[in-house]
Amino acid sequence: MDKSTPSTRSASRQILMIDDEETIQTVVKFGLRLSAGWEMLAASSGPAGIELAKQHQPDAILLDVMMPEMDGVATFKVLQADPSTQAIPVIFLTAKAQATEKSQLKALGVSGVITKPFNSLDLPEQIAKILHWPLAL
Amino acid sequence: MLARAQEAIALLNHRGQLLALNDLALEILQLPESQLIGRPWKDLVSTSVDFARLHRGAQPLETYTSVRRLGGRSFGAWQSQPLPANLQQQVLEWSLTREVMPRRHLVIFREIGHRLTQAEVALAQQQQQAELFAEVTLKIRQSLQLAEILHTTVTEVQRLLGADRVLVYQVLPDGTGKPISEAVLPDYPKILGMQFPEEVFPIEYQQRYAQGRVVAIAKVRDPAAGLADCLVEFVEQFGIKAKLIVPILQYPAWQSPPAKPAALWGLLIAHQCSQERQWSEAELALMQQLADQISIAIAQSQLVENLEDIVAVRTAALRQQEEQLRLITNALPVLISYVDRNQCYRFNNQAYEDWLGQPLETLKGKHLQEVWGKDCYGRMQLPAQAVLAGEATTYENEILGPEGQVRSLNVTYIPDFDPQGEVQGFFALTSDISDRKAIERMKDEFISVVSHELRTPLTSMHSALKILSTGRLGLLSQDGQQMLEIADENTERLVRLVNNVLDLQRIESGDVTMEKQICDAASLIIRAMEAMQPMAQQQGIRLTSEPLSIPIWADADYILQTLTNLLSNAIKFSNSGEIVSITVEAQATQTLFRIWDQGPGIPEDKLENIFERFQQVDSSDARRKGGTGLGLTICREIVERHGGKIWAESQPGRGSTFSFTVPSLPQTEGSVAQTSAQTSAESSSGGTDG
Repeated sequence: MDKSTPSTRSASRQILMIDDEETIQTVVKFGLRLSAGWEMLAASSGPAGIELAKQHQPDAILLDVMMPEMDGVATFKVLQADPSTQAIPVIFLTAKAQATEKSQLKALGVSGVITKPFNSLDLPEQIAKILHWPLAL
Repeated sequence: MLARAQEAIALLNHRGQLLALNDLALEILQLPESQLIGRPWKDLVSTSVDFARLHRGAQPLETYTSVRRLGGRSFGAWQSQPLPANLQQQVLEWSLTREVMPRRHLVIFREIGHRLTQAEVALAQQQQQAELFAEVTLKIRQSLQLAEILHTTVTEVQRLLGADRVLVYQVLPDGTGKPISEAVLPDYPKILGMQFPEEVFPIEYQQRYAQGRVVAIAKVRDPAAGLADCLVEFVEQFGIKAKLIVPILQYPAWQSPPAKPAALWGLLIAHQCSQERQWSEAELALMQQLADQISIAIAQSQLVENLEDIVAVRTAALRQQEEQLRLITNALPVLISYVDRNQCYRFNNQAYEDWLGQPLETLKGKHLQEVWGKDCYGRMQLPAQAVLAGEATTYENEILGPEGQVRSLNVTYIPDFDPQGEVQGFFALTSDISDRKAIERMKDEFISVVSHELRTPLTSMHSALKILSTGRLGLLSQDGQQMLEIADENTERLVRLVNNVLDLQRIESGDVTMEKQICDAASLIIRAMEAMQPMAQQQGIRLTSEPLSIPIWADADYILQTLTNLLSNAIKFSNSGEIVSITVEAQATQTLFRIWDQGPGIPEDKLENIFERFQQVDSSDARRKGGTGLGLTICREIVERHGGKIWAESQPGRGSTFSFTVPSLPQTEGSVAQTSAQTSAESSSGGTDG
């Protein structure tokens, strides 16, 4: 599960964003591309995201916690249960800033938690830090 | 038969007038028969025996002893004015046999201890007078019933003075008056209760009497008596020939000496109707003294009446107040009770009945636990103990309401001290705060939801503006760039505000618990310095610290938040080139953190409330510097949640110091390990991670 492929390949990282807010998808897409040149796939619901994850095997998944119908936690559990996706690192995006909630989410086995509001330009740095990716900006 | 008798004998008709006397009788009485026949026996021996009613008497034979003065015009027992030396007295012992014949009474008399000296008579009279006075005084003392006292007085005075009528006349405020007590011989008309017009007793008389002047009139017809003709006529219709009038004055109660002049209450009046009468000094004196006693009695009875009135009024007022209080306490949606020192109810308002569904009477005397059950009482026990130790206490409790739902209660116990300062019980005020709690929860939820909901659009705005600012999507004009910066800065501020509002709301609502564990003060300081280093660097501020390794009992995340908050403030309000420093110090039971700067300082009057929300020293300045006005409030909440204190000290122009304490370890065994890394770590510049 070593995703820390050589930095020369850093431009080709592919992040899957699962969030029901399309504007967030857009700003994150720009942020990732402008700061790190990463590529982003977007899904607006849990099931759609799971499908994309299976198909594209992204380097990491940014998963919104609060989504209608299938929320982030449920989506994560499905991803974990599926052998084809269980190795993909997942980072939660949450509007809840509370430390205890953060640690509860971490206890589920996610790689990390990023709190809204964030600056999408800073995302590659935060993701790289959480996943211990070398990053040359 | 009479002539031959060895005793002095007199025969009286049914009215007590002499019909016949024997020689011995004439000899003893020393008066010619012609002067005696037809004369009332009682005049001769000055007796008050009622001959007119003799036939109804119970005893067939009655024996009397009388003092008789010889040579006087009248034979009254109180004729004690100075006598000429040749006048003498005799003491007669006489017995009366009633109805020896139909309508005829027999008197047999003899002279015993004859010819008392004048001094002896005076002594006997004085004694009688003293006895009367004592008797009247005693009655006055024994009785608070004015009517009874007055009745006794007039009866006794009439008897002893031998007057035909004695009355107490009350002067009413409008100048009219009426006799309110009277003793009168049956031969004369009663005037008790008659209303007398004002003219009978004109105002100038009143004034004269009010000065305590006694008026003795021997002959009402005598012009020297000074009675107006109409008055003479008036008094004569009652058969009055002589009168003695003594004012009864009314002194203001319990004023000694009287502050106000005495008012005229009424008159003590003696009438002689049978004949004109020269009133003696001794009689005047006696009347005067009795009138004084009546004055006292009046004062006493008025005082008692006043007292009774006052008591009645106050009792009524108290009842009314009590009733009002009951109405109020019953109308209030608050449980109000009084609990004694054994924790048993002594009073409960109506709300208890509504709440508990039990009649109030059944609560009285019941123990708190019996009423509320074991669980609920468990939460009452400590506050109850505290209040019985004399400490007013407020706490919150939860009980099952009338419909079985859980209600939140705010309870206040107020100790009730007796005059010795001992707690004898307490008042319990209990209000249902369930609605308030529900509203608070709604408010908290609302703030929480709004804050969360704001975060997602803020993320979009924030990111979009940041991306625009890079210029990589196209360059803006200089003005456009400025506008973009304004939008960007204010979005950042909005982000901080939303974060702070949410933080504060969570901490204040008690939603979050401080998860305390052993942490190292040094590590917290280093982390805070690292976090704030970029900001300090940007503003040209040097951060210094002495991160001593001291174990503290705290929630590391929150103490870190406090430290960064205080550091951020210090940096914000420092000028380029100045130093912001952070130190830590282990004290007896707590650890003291200090963050100090060299900035402009805080005016003294602002130091107090600087921790209140939105209370920046200079709000425009603070806003310019990106403050939200909530940072210090959050710091205070966090520190207080740890059981510590936070405060600020400052000298304007010489910087500020913000200090806060955090308790040391819960159980400190011996001295806390002071493995202090004395690294005066002047944090290195540069080094953002990544």
